[in-house]
Amino acid sequence: MPGADKEADLTERIEAFLADLKRGGCGTGPIRGSGETARETTALLRKVTAQARWSSAGDLMEIIRKEGRRMTAAQPSETTVGNMVLRVLKIIREEYARSRGSSEETDQQESLHKLLTSGGLSEENFRQHFVHLKANVIEAINELLTELEGTTDNIAMQALEHIHSNEVIMTVGRSRTVEAFLKDAARKRKFHVIVAECAPFCQGHEMATNLSKASIETTVIADAAIFAVMSRVNKVIIGTQTVLANGGLRAVNGTHTVALAARHHSTPLIVCAPMFKLSPQVLYGQFLRPHGLVFALTCTILSKVNVHCPVFDYVPPELITLFISNIGGNAPSYIYRLMSELYHPEDHDL
Amino acid sequence: MDKDELVEYFRTQVRQDPEVPSAVAAIRTLLEFLKRDQTGETILGLRENLTQTIRRLEEADSSVAVSSGGELFLRFISLTSLEHPDLSQCKKVMVERGELFLKKISLSRSKVAKLCHTFIKDGAKILTHSSSRVVLKVLESAAADKKRFTVYVTESQPDSAGRQMADKLQNLNIPVTVVLDAAVGYIMEKVDLVIVGAEGVVESGGIINKIGTYQLAVCSKAHNKPFYVVAESFKFVRLYPLNQQDVPERFKYKADTLKAVEDLAEEHPMIDYTPPSLITLIFTDLGVLTPSAVSDELIKLYL
Repeated sequence: MPGADKEADLTERIEAFLADLKRGGCGTGPIRGSGETARETTALLRKVTAQARWSSAGDLMEIIRKEGRRMTAAQPSETTVGNMVLRVLKIIREEYARSRGSSEETDQQESLHKLLTSGGLSEENFRQHFVHLKANVIEAINELLTELEGTTDNIAMQALEHIHSNEVIMTVGRSRTVEAFLKDAARKRKFHVIVAECAPFCQGHEMATNLSKASIETTVIADAAIFAVMSRVNKVIIGTQTVLANGGLRAVNGTHTVALAARHHSTPLIVCAPMFKLSPQVLYGQFLRPHGLVFALTCTILSKVNVHCPVFDYVPPELITLFISNIGGNAPSYIYRLMSELYHPEDHDL
Repeated sequence: MDKDELVEYFRTQVRQDPEVPSAVAAIRTLLEFLKRDQTGETILGLRENLTQTIRRLEEADSSVAVSSGGELFLRFISLTSLEHPDLSQCKKVMVERGELFLKKISLSRSKVAKLCHTFIKDGAKILTHSSSRVVLKVLESAAADKKRFTVYVTESQPDSAGRQMADKLQNLNIPVTVVLDAAVGYIMEKVDLVIVGAEGVVESGGIINKIGTYQLAVCSKAHNKPFYVVAESFKFVRLYPLNQQDVPERFKYKADTLKAVEDLAEEHPMIDYTPPSLITLIFTDLGVLTPSAVSDELIKLYL
């Protein structure tokens, strides 16, 4: 029966995706970049919308939430998965509101104004059935996918405004977004890049190789030399794994050091992060993952020594100068506003 | 309803339920006035009466919260009267919406507590200032969540409100220590985070709170400890002080002092202003806000 086949196919794809996610955080960093993860997640959610059985928006939201919870449980540190689920939930709410013809879609947030003027406890339970809801939601998800595909290019397009000739730029580790950003600027400007290697995985080496292939003068430095070299740097441009709701970052280990060194020398710190990395979480502390690294230590003290290698760092918003995202440049204090446009407050804890 | 009756009604509210926030009591009083008012014939007249009533209430209780509650109510009247220009219908709608509003904001404290208690980790040492019912609710929720933490409370002179807070916390079986106001710098290296309430949250994102809060904030900034504020959304007030002198005199001293004393320069102020640069996050029933988000909320309401 074609229906059962499709469902089995869907479950298979979800399982494969979950397995990929679980494997992803095991050593040399995730198997795929976060952009790809975001696209895969959205494509999967589109498939779920198309193939799962649902009759009202409320059912669809429940199904998506369930799948979302499974996906985030597989790899909690990969926040883009959760973010995409929240985006899709917001899309469903908006399409539902549009189908109902209500003008609620603009002001979904709790505000003092709403408290004072609302005429009744609005129990929006999304039970109404609309014929075209499915098509509308799928179309909106397609728009989201197009947006996701264009993010790196949108960010790279802004490079010429921020990078000037003969500048010395510092970056940390490897970020595909920053790589595209610098390569785009290199088409018209000549500048120098210093890459901190970011031990122990030394992804900075790969970044330096890629940049030099694009004819950018690159220098690799050890992490310990960051502070020493900072006085000669004009700008620091970094990528990040997640942007938190208060404007802080969860970025690769070592970023906080770079940020503090930049603050000390009053060097601007620019973060290139597409909008899908914006997460409604605020507190970061609990995601420190002691990583199971195997050092080539042959001495007997190995049994008495604890090896902790956290993967991520928290950078507070005060150390960041500018966020460059696919929708333009923003100050860290504005991030909360962007968040309210992307996600609905009731969805914040899946 | 004459003015003295109103003040009596307000005082009874506070007496009967010591847990009720003063802004809520003020709004309840104003709603009662609205229900009983027979003299008003125009909306403008109604607003005049209300403004005078609010002024009378402020004379009875000079805290920022009563002022912000009053302003919010006036704004509520303006917004409703824009939709229904006919007075009698307008009044009906106002009374209905007013009751609904009161019901919603009586739940604010629990909403704030739900948001904030996840920030308290097991084994945390918390420093708080004076006696705040919202902070008490937050700590109560955290304790109910089986978290273990210790609390330091500043004594908060001149009324030793900190000791009352300590008693209430002891009743909840939370280990608590009272410290001198002067010992804040001494104790700061031991604590993990600072949580305070607020009497008012100003437009810049700063707060107005019991005297000593500013000191606490400066110390915590110097030691890089997070400084959290918990406040309900009806405490947002349309003030923009740039320093301590900018806070209006009518908030700084108790109502009786304002009436009795000639030269206020000799009196000790009861509140101070903490600028937003020292505050990490503000927890409200509208969500977890950064100080820059506060003015956004106020703009949405008033403009």
